[in-house]
Amino acid sequence: MSREYKVGIFVICAAALVLLALLFLAVEKGLFSTSHTYTLSSRTGDGFAVGMPVVFSGFDIGRVHSLELDDRGIVLIKIRIPDKHVKWIKEDSFFVLYRPLIGAARIVVNTNNLESPPMPEKKVAEVFVVNDINDAIEKIQPLLETIERLSRRIDGMAAKADEQVFGKEGTLPQINKILKDVAGKLEKLETTVDNLNKISKDASEGTQDLGALRADIDEVTQTLNKVSRDINALLYKKKDTEIKLP
Amino acid sequence: MREHVLILRILNAKKRLMSFIETTGSFAMQRATSFAQMISFAAAVFYRLFMLGTYNSATRTVLVNQIYFTSIQILPAFLAVSVLFGSVLIGIVFQLLKNLGLTDLFGNVLMGLIVTELSPLFTVLLITLRSGAAINTEMAAMKVNQEIKTLETFRIDVINYLLAPRVVNGIISVVLLSFLFSIVLMGSGILFSRVIFGISADVYVNILLNSTNFSDIVIALVKCAVFGFFITFIPIYFGLRATHELTSIPIVVSRGMVSVFAAILIIEVLSLLTKLM
Repeated sequence: MSREYKVGIFVICAAALVLLALLFLAVEKGLFSTSHTYTLSSRTGDGFAVGMPVVFSGFDIGRVHSLELDDRGIVLIKIRIPDKHVKWIKEDSFFVLYRPLIGAARIVVNTNNLESPPMPEKKVAEVFVVNDINDAIEKIQPLLETIERLSRRIDGMAAKADEQVFGKEGTLPQINKILKDVAGKLEKLETTVDNLNKISKDASEGTQDLGALRADIDEVTQTLNKVSRDINALLYKKKDTEIKLP
Repeated sequence: MREHVLILRILNAKKRLMSFIETTGSFAMQRATSFAQMISFAAAVFYRLFMLGTYNSATRTVLVNQIYFTSIQILPAFLAVSVLFGSVLIGIVFQLLKNLGLTDLFGNVLMGLIVTELSPLFTVLLITLRSGAAINTEMAAMKVNQEIKTLETFRIDVINYLLAPRVVNGIISVVLLSFLFSIVLMGSGILFSRVIFGISADVYVNILLNSTNFSDIVIALVKCAVFGFFITFIPIYFGLRATHELTSIPIVVSRGMVSVFAAILIIEVLSLLTKLM
């Protein structure tokens, strides 16, 4: 295969591919098809833009062609729908401007009854606005107010708790006072315990002395018993006992 | 005495400041003149591209050879890299969109970012690295060997014989290869959208069509053509500025390649600005 042939094949195939793709895109985008223009109205032009997509069931079926302001201050939105998508626009269709939080705004066509007659091009339908950002803010607003109220209440409670705990007549100073008293009493108790220890020690020593005294007394008693027996032996003839020991 | 020293110092500082301003001015003027010369030469070449007389048999032969070397020889490797790089890129982007909960926007990301922005950029970088550098060196070597002078001696038009076929080749190659890359990317998209988002090919095509603006595609094609023009024209222009010394070749090649990258960035920014308007 010659070099010229290869180059020719490549250029022709690739160029044909490009042209076919562009043609397909142009046909699908309705560049060669005739289109119908419908007029919608809105009290405000906020969120509308020329070129904005018109969507049915998530698919682009047309574009906003132009925006006008009529004598009454109403915004007129002209949308262009290619022939093949006109079947989705019916008498009972209603139009919603949808502004999502993320992504581009679009006009959504909702048709409840696809059997109903086609919408006449002269009819001016109103556009309802669904705004994700405002809806989100509206939903969050009560929550924010509750949070603010709670925050104020918590602040008040904290201030009251501060007063009750740290104030002049608060719990903490009272506890401090009691603790000081307890500390003083504990000091006194410590001295008393020291004295008790001393007394206990003295008593223990005294008990040892008492043991020795008892032994002495026992010894004296034994001696006296012996003396008594001796005296009784001397006086055995006498009837009555002269001496009786305890 | 101290006052004299002070005055001398002030005069010296003034002299240095003047010299600095003069050097800066001279440098700026030199650059501006060089840029103006290049633009003027580019305009002359661009004009010549539309003249039927430009395409004689010799020019056509050079054009066929250039397209063969730039597009046909590189095609298998280019397609392999496109499939590999494109699939990985599409997979990552789709997974990221799914994780971020932006599934609705995948058509816009695929068409607006990957197909119309990344694929021309990827293609132009690939062709610049392969063919731009080669053309720059070839031209510089021809100038050093005095082949350009020989062509002029034989009254062969340098623009017709050397510039036109290479520039036309640049335009054709970048546009077609970039388009092929986009096709490969969109093909990968069918597979990944099924695996990651679980959507069928019909829905995928519909989403792509919804996300495609005809004007964006036209801008992308024009951008590819402009890329193709400058990534071949600039290396030729700088190659022809080589002197008759061999050491001038690397200098003009490096200057040419830096200028090509600057041109790519400028064109990319301009195309983005066009989209914004």
